[in-house]
Amino acid sequence: MAVVKLPEQFAELYKILGGVDICMSKIAIISQPDQGVLIDVGGCGSLQEAASHLSNTLQVSNQFWKGTEVALNFGTLELTPPQVAQLLAIAKAVGATPKQVFSENEPTRASLRSLQMKIGRGKPMKLPEIKIDALTQHELEEEEDSNYTEVSGAEAESMTLYETEENLEFNASLTHDTVPSAEAEDDATAAADTATAGDAVEEVKITQEFIDEAEEVDGEVDAEEEEEEEEERIAPPKPTTPPVPAVLYLRQHLRSGQTVSHKGHLVIIGDVNPGAEVMAEGDVTVWGALRGIAHAGIGGNTDAEIRALKMQPIQIRIAHAIARSPDKPRYKFSRFANSGPETARIIDGKIKIAKSNVD
Amino acid sequence: MSGRVIVITSGKGGVGKTTASANLGVALANTGASVCLVDMDIGLRNLDILMGLENRVVYNLVDVIEERCKLRQALVKDKRLPNLSLLPAAQTRDKTAVNSDQMKVLCTELKSIFDFVLVDSPAGIESGFQNAVAGAEEAIVITTPEMSAVRDADRIIGLLEARKDEITQYRLVINRLRPNMVKNSDMMSVEDVLEILSVKLLGVVPEDEEIIISTNKGEPVSGTENVRSGLAYRNIARRIRGEDVPLMDLDALNGTWMTRLVKFFNPSVRV
Repeated sequence: MAVVKLPEQFAELYKILGGVDICMSKIAIISQPDQGVLIDVGGCGSLQEAASHLSNTLQVSNQFWKGTEVALNFGTLELTPPQVAQLLAIAKAVGATPKQVFSENEPTRASLRSLQMKIGRGKPMKLPEIKIDALTQHELEEEEDSNYTEVSGAEAESMTLYETEENLEFNASLTHDTVPSAEAEDDATAAADTATAGDAVEEVKITQEFIDEAEEVDGEVDAEEEEEEEEERIAPPKPTTPPVPAVLYLRQHLRSGQTVSHKGHLVIIGDVNPGAEVMAEGDVTVWGALRGIAHAGIGGNTDAEIRALKMQPIQIRIAHAIARSPDKPRYKFSRFANSGPETARIIDGKIKIAKSNVD
Repeated sequence: MSGRVIVITSGKGGVGKTTASANLGVALANTGASVCLVDMDIGLRNLDILMGLENRVVYNLVDVIEERCKLRQALVKDKRLPNLSLLPAAQTRDKTAVNSDQMKVLCTELKSIFDFVLVDSPAGIESGFQNAVAGAEEAIVITTPEMSAVRDADRIIGLLEARKDEITQYRLVINRLRPNMVKNSDMMSVEDVLEILSVKLLGVVPEDEEIIISTNKGEPVSGTENVRSGLAYRNIARRIRGEDVPLMDLDALNGTWMTRLVKFFNPSVRV
């Protein structure tokens, strides 16, 4: 079980800043300054699962929960009165006070009534939905002699990203031409890269096929989706909500399987290892090595940036865009590792990396 | 079209399930079949790393099951072989995220698309294993020639026998065999293992340092010529496809003076 252990200072920070989401496996802790804290258990399939996830998650920080009034969401779980009491007891054990409970399941609601627990009205808060088009992802190249505009005048090591199919094809052909010469010293890699450049073109085809298929199969539902997609393609996606100016500081290493998401800017003081994911509506800053997946601008903010002291990500996502790391053997990554602090941002619809340079 | 769903399992951890899955996937795809590798080790996924596809994973098996994306979006196509795909496991979830019925539905959908669906099972005999075997019709049990691994394999075979309505055939692969140690009676031989387990043998894979190198590179050995473990996996793939391929002569691998002589003059030959 992945548990993100928050430092004790976090309780203080929380009070000052508010607006924190921490998402760990099936439990989401969602909070907003004006709406309090909600513990969402709805993702769990059974009582046993809910109980184990809940007790693991609540051990995050004892200080954090002391005296905190919380709401719980049981989703569609069907629970008898003793089972409800069991879950509530887990929350009480760490010092939290359950104030109200949301449930979509009638027997559970009956159980809650019998325990004289307040049933939440309306819809509980939700984590932001993240929508990415997996099929438009593309081979992410480390451009040696950059054909792109240099960022901040620094020697740009660009990662590229691709939102539209045109971009995708353009980059595919570009890669095809430049890679073999740039990488002549490593025949195998060059061959592999050329092959993947070919793949990329195929991926484009899949995208098109996929869309066609979707249109054919379920016309009405997809008409809406398609409209959305169309919008994304024509204009760059606009931020749906104004960025929350709150910043979450996390002083710890994030290890494989751990996820942290936050409504404002996110600062990790420590490493983000492969298999870990960090998400923020604003910027993501890693004071350490970024080796996992970072997603900035999850609300659609294309101005969001990702910075890290050591930029070695598996994937970088900003708003609706994805860029993936180059397909090179890991043990030959030393050049990447020594490149110093770097920043990733969207420039002309592509995610690019450049040396961090504060103007 | 209806493909074959084969689960690769062992009971004990660390005997080479994931390595075997990756290598058999590549070897079967090289014979021209369309293959899908399914990583069922939710929470401890590795198959994507062995395949060198880690950086392409966006959606995963749990996303498909929970309908956050379509199957096609989650399938990651191999870099080298266009007829090989990977359905990665979720890393931020755990084994309780799926159940057997959902796996059955998923396997049915996959076998309508692919000739072979190879399911990489997690270690253990709990829910993760139960889910992995849920949609399968055949099983490959991996073991190493060690008492502990053989004991666990025996347990697994018992569990597979209990499902003989669904699992029509199960065969054994003995992994990491060291012919020299067998010769000195320091390691169980193929015969010793078979005597205990009394199952059909599908193949024997010798211990090979190349496996470690290939894991780091993300290129399974069965795609490379001149690697003995790779050849063993290619042979197994051919046997899965119904060909009658004799077992490799393991004694010849690093024993005789002749092979040493060959290696002395041409170190690039991996005998």
